Amino acid sequence: MKPIEIIDIDVSYGAKKILEAITFHADAGEILGIVGPNGSGKTTLLRAMSRVVARDNGEIRLDDRDLDSLGHRELARRVAVVPQDISIGFDYTVRDVVMMGRHPYIGRFASETARDVEICDHAMLLANVAHLAGASVHEISGGERQRVLIARALAQEPKILLLDEATSNLDVSHQVEILNIIRDLAGEITVVSVFHDLNLAAYYCDRLLLLKDRKVYAAGTPAAVLTRENIREIFGMEMLVKPHPLTGKPYVLPVYMHQSSAGENRRVHVVCGGGTGSDILHLLHAAGFTVTCGVLNVLDTDYGTAMHLGLPCVVEPPFHGITPESLSGLRKCLDSADAVIVTAMPIGRGNLDNLRVLLEYPATPVLFYARDRSTRMEDYTGGEAGTVLANLEARGALRVEGAEELLARLSRDGSERD
Amino acid sequence: MRRTAPIIILTLICALLVSMAAAVALGPSVISFGSLFTSDNAWMILWEIRLPRVITAALVGCGLAVAGTAMQALFRNPMADPYIIGTSSGGALGATLAIVLFAGTGRTVLAFAGAMIATFTVYFIARRGGKIPVETLLLSGVALATLLSALLSFLMYTAGRSLHQIMFWLMGGFWNISWNDVIVALLILIGGAGIYLFARDLNILALNEEDATHLGVNVERAKQILLALSAFVTGIAVAVAGSIGFIGLITPHVMRLIVGPDHRFLFPAAALAGAILLVWADALTRTFTSDMPVGILTACFGAPFFIYLLRSRMKA
Repeated sequence: MKPIEIIDIDVSYGAKKILEAITFHADAGEILGIVGPNGSGKTTLLRAMSRVVARDNGEIRLDDRDLDSLGHRELARRVAVVPQDISIGFDYTVRDVVMMGRHPYIGRFASETARDVEICDHAMLLANVAHLAGASVHEISGGERQRVLIARALAQEPKILLLDEATSNLDVSHQVEILNIIRDLAGEITVVSVFHDLNLAAYYCDRLLLLKDRKVYAAGTPAAVLTRENIREIFGMEMLVKPHPLTGKPYVLPVYMHQSSAGENRRVHVVCGGGTGSDILHLLHAAGFTVTCGVLNVLDTDYGTAMHLGLPCVVEPPFHGITPESLSGLRKCLDSADAVIVTAMPIGRGNLDNLRVLLEYPATPVLFYARDRSTRMEDYTGGEAGTVLANLEARGALRVEGAEELLARLSRDGSERD
Repeated sequence: MRRTAPIIILTLICALLVSMAAAVALGPSVISFGSLFTSDNAWMILWEIRLPRVITAALVGCGLAVAGTAMQALFRNPMADPYIIGTSSGGALGATLAIVLFAGTGRTVLAFAGAMIATFTVYFIARRGGKIPVETLLLSGVALATLLSALLSFLMYTAGRSLHQIMFWLMGGFWNISWNDVIVALLILIGGAGIYLFARDLNILALNEEDATHLGVNVERAKQILLALSAFVTGIAVAVAGSIGFIGLITPHVMRLIVGPDHRFLFPAAALAGAILLVWADALTRTFTSDMPVGILTACFGAPFFIYLLRSRMKA
């Protein structure tokens, strides 16, 4: 017996189909997140579950009971909904609003009992609004009002809590505060929530339901659902998906790819390391250059960036010096490169050959790139690196500062050649 | 709930009783307490003319205020009034028909019938798939009122000598009120009590309808019942006293500021305030004018107040 079972439902507004053939269930006590792009039907699915919109066909079962067989009040005792911030036109107090959650328990000819008051007090405590009980809902902040709506939902003593992007209008600190409250409630209550923010969904949900074009596209654990391929397919955009450094849950970062043709058909090789090259690898890739890089050690931050961007990279195992094999790989890259960029990386014996080899290519322009004036190349070779750099400068290598200057310099070189 | 609300309601009850006693004593002919025992005429004026008139004024004021309160919550608009869904235009047309066709016989019945028919017509125009969206309801109300007022103008144009009578009725007042009218007006209390049973539902409906559904309110059924009861109460008020404006608009508004928005307290407070207001308005017009229609007085005070409300809402 599942708290919620949705079996093959279709929903439409007028002639317009909003949801098609949706089937899924929620397990007792879990947080199930519904994610997907705008217009994929997330909110409608939630509204079908709270019976605000009718479905065309299919079945919704709560604890094995048909949703349609429940009376209005009976449904409100099982399922509570926390909407997005709602405007409250009349000047109610926080306690008034929370007490409304008891409505399905109080008969038409009765009024609230001591027990109802007690349940409200407890709900306000859980949602951290007890201190606001006497305040007007117009006097409190958006985050506080959202917690009041959670307290009202808890006063309904529901088995199922539905949240419709309940935190999306709030600051990140309030979002986390509210979702922590929800996380603590799960276990006793089954939570189904629409999320706009994939990272919040990944962290707080046990399972995710990914919707696309009115249908379920994927369902499962956040790690199984939020794959790079799924996200590319759903949002039509490249995203980095990495484990969050602290939580280990999937973490999604947009790549902000702005394709341009500035560097069309031009090849650039980047000598970098230790994260000094990640920004320009991305920038050059986005600007349309054909980028190669190396030699890098596996596990280097710049290596990770190159892999995410899909750039060819000459590599060595971690903490390993440059071998003749990878040196020949590097030469291959340099043979076809129109320009070489050397970032302001620390230079030690392990990567010094990356620079030495450049002396073999006097015809290829070399640019020393630093993010800003204060960035310097640290020399850990006892002066050897300094000599190499001085030689490179002597034969025409230039220092550039900042991404803009770098791009300007590259495009000037390109037009001179043409 | 504000802790002061029960005290305010008690105060209002006392104020209403005092107002009614004062209104019975006031009038164009001065009646002293002693003359009640010596003069049959004084007794007759008091018992047959003033007392039913004052009671009816109180009941009508009460009914308009209660219906107005319900409408404002239902439409989530503090500018709504009991006539908003065409009730008064229907009542006016019914009464005018009675005056033109039957020389005033059956005026009360036809006014009531007109009010109810108009309200339900608006309701069925606005209804779609078992639901009544409030915006559509408001717009159908305006549309039907325009049509009915055209018919009314036509009747007045052809009315000839009874035009004067129609005009008086339209402006609203309490002439020739008898104990029979009091009995009809008492129905307002039944309708009002019915509305009061939905006080908690209205508290929630005033948030928004979807939210009310989540809290276990059967929204469409509540709307149907409340519309029907409000139309019934307003229909009776219109049938007895014509369309008296602004009482149903202003009293809920002022009382909401004083007792707060909880309808369990707002309904009784607004009902009492509406009664007090109309009892005094009627007492003043019949004492200090030659029985001018009371609707003129309520409009004179009500319209500027309405404009003031509008301005202060625009600022907020």
